[in-house]
Amino acid sequence: MSSLRLAAAVAAKDLRIELHGRHAAGLALPFVGTLLLAFGLALGPGRALLQATAPGLLWLALLFASTLLARRAYEAEAEDGALEGLVLAPVDKASVFAGKAAAMAVELLVLEASVLVMVAVLFELPLGRGIGVIAAALVLGTVGLAAVGSLFGVLAVVPRAREAALPLLVMPLVTPVVVAGVKATELAVAGRGGEAGSWLGLLVAFDLVFLAAGILVFEHLLEE
Amino acid sequence: MLEPAPAISLTGVTRTFGAQPAIVGVSLTVGRGEVVLLRGANGAGKSTLLRVVATAVSPTYGRGAVLGFDLAAERDEIRRRTDLLTHRTRLYEELSAAENLRFGCALHGIDPALVPGALERVGLAGVAGERVAGFSQGMRQRVAIARTILRQAELLLLDEPYAGLDADAREVVDRLVLAARDAGRTVLLATHQPTRAGLATRTVLLEAGRLQPHPVPPPRAGVPG
Repeated sequence: MSSLRLAAAVAAKDLRIELHGRHAAGLALPFVGTLLLAFGLALGPGRALLQATAPGLLWLALLFASTLLARRAYEAEAEDGALEGLVLAPVDKASVFAGKAAAMAVELLVLEASVLVMVAVLFELPLGRGIGVIAAALVLGTVGLAAVGSLFGVLAVVPRAREAALPLLVMPLVTPVVVAGVKATELAVAGRGGEAGSWLGLLVAFDLVFLAAGILVFEHLLEE
Repeated sequence: MLEPAPAISLTGVTRTFGAQPAIVGVSLTVGRGEVVLLRGANGAGKSTLLRVVATAVSPTYGRGAVLGFDLAAERDEIRRRTDLLTHRTRLYEELSAAENLRFGCALHGIDPALVPGALERVGLAGVAGERVAGFSQGMRQRVAIARTILRQAELLLLDEPYAGLDADAREVVDRLVLAARDAGRTVLLATHQPTRAGLATRTVLLEAGRLQPHPVPPPRAGVPG
């Protein structure tokens, strides 16, 4: 089987599990919604403050959601030893990584549509002016979050790993995604989307680095 | 004409987990087409030995070859030709029996059109579209056996395949072993209760991680070991 078809099979399997189990909709979305609501209440009714903090909260919410989805993607593998089935399959493990990352990216993008609406409503974020740049930042940021989550999510199901191993590892690593995403979103809603090119470039570079890292080292992480 | 390499050839294989040895200095040769019963109490190291042969874990010391391929250097070649069936069925709860098998087909390059026939053979054709989450352990094991039927691996590694199964499901495992034997494939069957010992051509005993030097006669069929 070609690498592309194998990756597609892995992605289809993960998406089917999500469709049946609805973990993104049933776990990540309520969590993110509660988080945004709590921040909104804590920050008070001042419109300027809400709008100023909205880009940061949007990307923090996506960061937390990606960690939850990465954990869930590998919990499904660990439930009855399925991960060992992947290890023992005589296939290119880079394709398994690519398939898992693709599925997670799709799940995140669907989640982001809902989160974006929540942020726009709760924080009165004016999306209209820079929606193109925001969409580009979200798509590029999603690829990076999915790459890191799919690469290190496997650590969430290693028996000797602590519960907090995944977030402790992932959150510092994806800081560039959060920073670049926040900056690009701020510029977009301020009507200065044209100045966001360098931040979008940073997201592209991050994506390339972690997609390459996943392709190169995923097999090692999986085997160990 | 050259003799084919043994199905399994291990020399002085030791595997430790931390400081704890699971198997120690195991040397074992299993010829092609043999059905070998691996006996031993719980914790004797049977599962570790099977997992070393399947390349799920690497030996800490020692060397070996499976079907003529080196354990350390040719893992993918070994994985292509071996199948490890354990009480952990490696199924995805949220997928149906047929979806699980089709994914297995994708991983191993098998025609997914064969899936309905495999489910028919294990008596699950009627629940092919139902999610595995609602299955009993016996039904899950049957799905795993269907996957093994699809694989048709040259070397079949069975780790306590009768655990938790009812009489009908045990029959399904027996038929799997018999079909493999009749097809000239090799089977290494680990169990601490060899109630189906009549299937084996030879028995070896593992005690505290060490393979006992003298051959053990297989217990009479139907008599727990």
